[in-house]
Amino acid sequence: MRTAFYLLPLAMAPLFANDFWLVQILGRALSLGVIALSLTFLAAYLGVVSFAQTTMAGVAGYTVAYFGPNTVDVGYELPFYVILPLAMIMATLSGALIGLIARRSQGIYAIMITLAIAVAFFYFTRQNYSVFNGWTGFSGLRAPDIAGINLRAPVPFYLLCLGVAALSLVLVNGFIKSPLGLTIQAVRDEPKRVLAIGIPTTPVIVAAYAFAGFIAGSGGILNIWLQERISSFSVGLGPIVDILVIAVIGGLKHPIGAFIGAIAFVLLDTFAVDFIDRERFNTLIGLVLLAIIMGAPDGLHGLAKSWLSRSAKRPAKIKT
Amino acid sequence: MPVSYDHKAANALEIQGVGRRFGGFWAVKDVSLTVRPGERRAVLGPNGAGKTTLFNVLTGDLVTSAGTIRMDGADVTQMPMHKRIKGGLRRTYQHAHLFNGLTVRDSLFLSVCGVAGGWQRFMPLRLNDGAVAKAETLAQLSGLSAELDREVANLSHGQRRQLEIGMALAENPKMLLLDEPAAGLSPSERPRLAELLLSLPKHITIILIEHDMDIALKTSDSVSVLHNGQLLAEGTPENIMSNEAVHKVYMGGAHGH
Ligand SMILES: Nc1ncnc2c1ncn2[C@@H]1O[C@H](COP(=O)(O)OP(=O)(O)OP(=O)(O)O)[C@@H](O)[C@H]1O
Ligand SMILES: [Mg+2]
Repeated sequence: MRTAFYLLPLAMAPLFANDFWLVQILGRALSLGVIALSLTFLAAYLGVVSFAQTTMAGVAGYTVAYFGPNTVDVGYELPFYVILPLAMIMATLSGALIGLIARRSQGIYAIMITLAIAVAFFYFTRQNYSVFNGWTGFSGLRAPDIAGINLRAPVPFYLLCLGVAALSLVLVNGFIKSPLGLTIQAVRDEPKRVLAIGIPTTPVIVAAYAFAGFIAGSGGILNIWLQERISSFSVGLGPIVDILVIAVIGGLKHPIGAFIGAIAFVLLDTFAVDFIDRERFNTLIGLVLLAIIMGAPDGLHGLAKSWLSRSAKRPAKIKT
Repeated sequence: MPVSYDHKAANALEIQGVGRRFGGFWAVKDVSLTVRPGERRAVLGPNGAGKTTLFNVLTGDLVTSAGTIRMDGADVTQMPMHKRIKGGLRRTYQHAHLFNGLTVRDSLFLSVCGVAGGWQRFMPLRLNDGAVAKAETLAQLSGLSAELDREVANLSHGQRRQLEIGMALAENPKMLLLDEPAAGLSPSERPRLAELLLSLPKHITIILIEHDMDIALKTSDSVSVLHNGQLLAEGTPENIMSNEAVHKVYMGGAHGH
């Protein structure tokens, strides 16, 4: 029901939005939203804030770049039906590996260790030319034609982003109700007790990160098809902070927050230049972030929820 | 010579010279004791005597600093906690450690899956999942049938204690360690707890830490008294009640409440 409430206007967007809005605003917001969703998932259900989600998305992106069509003459070209599953597997494995490294870390330590991994990956992509093509990276990345549909055209690409976003939300909502999803939440609440009911915690944590890697990977693929390039800057500190800002603005308590935050972020990012200097954008985003953290720690989603429940109660008050 | 254990004859628990040190302080020191299968053992001792620490070492919550622990004849001293649980050990915590973000049903469900297997499944559950039915039986046993869909964070203190016990009873435990299950219960809730303990199958070995003498002595057939981390006395409830040394360190204080 609630999903349909968000989905319906978005599905009808091609009827009234122009290509710029479809691709650069909505498509971009949805693909960033999927990556942010992987962060929100870990924060809400495993209770850790991970700075490595852009890295997992980047692993999928680089896999597609290396094995797909590009204009830099690095890598092999494989058919898309091999590349895409391979990219998802690589992203999932990268998530599992990061989870294995970060498994004992919580709170500020989880932030530090995932940030360290992300920064190490950034420098590695910069210095490695045989696989990552150094700081120039890959350009000329093109979404394929699938079943006769040209995914580079604005409307199909937008609908693809919407489909992937909706699917990843459905996936997260189903997963958290599965036995493994419940176990992940149990680890968030009381890791000790999880052991005391006979469940080792390491595989649970690794599985949570792997699932987050899968989600981040699908967002990462959309993102490089949108940008048509990937380089070390795509996995650097800038995008890492963007994803964190999106997740925090939207609200870390509920998966939908990632998309609310992404739309707010992309709107600011696109239109703030009309009012302020490009260089001031980070100041603006910083102030918005500060306002959210101070005024609405559960993000825009939390704000909307409390506002809705307040206005829903109001008529009852008038009656009595 | 091959060593083989006759599991029927093996003791449920046999610990030798067990100790646990925090820095330079031995919270449990050189404790040896034996518990028969099906025995109901109470562990008494004043605050800070080391009772909870002894439990933590028995379950694997804490690693032992000294000594050996055998369960059912097998050495489990180095065994990780979750494997001891799979082997039939269960515990409750003095200060409830519960999954506050889950419902009662899901907490009990996971307790079943933890031992029986199946927590790894990542597809949403079918309605007729056997573990869910078992979870509902556990809720009935621990008096939480009406609270199945409540979030654990919203349970009352008494209900949290009941859930601790319900989770510990999942999948036919062989040995139950109960750490002050009556703590914080109202006088009207206490007899219910004693009744539940007495109604448990006789083959379950129970070790009970309890300050409530009524419950401790009514439900146990032997008593160990800890003091300053060491074993002070051991015997039948009658023996212990009339033991001079025990009176000196413990009974005097505990009867005052
Ligand atoms: N993790 C720890 N680190 C340091 N000291 C500890 C730790 N756990 C317990 N202790 C100390 O070990 C001693 C025994 O504590 P323990 O909790 O086992 O006592 P207890 O017999 O269960 O007491 P109570 O009746 O109050 O529950 C206490 O002095 C306590 O302060
Ligand atoms: Mg204690």
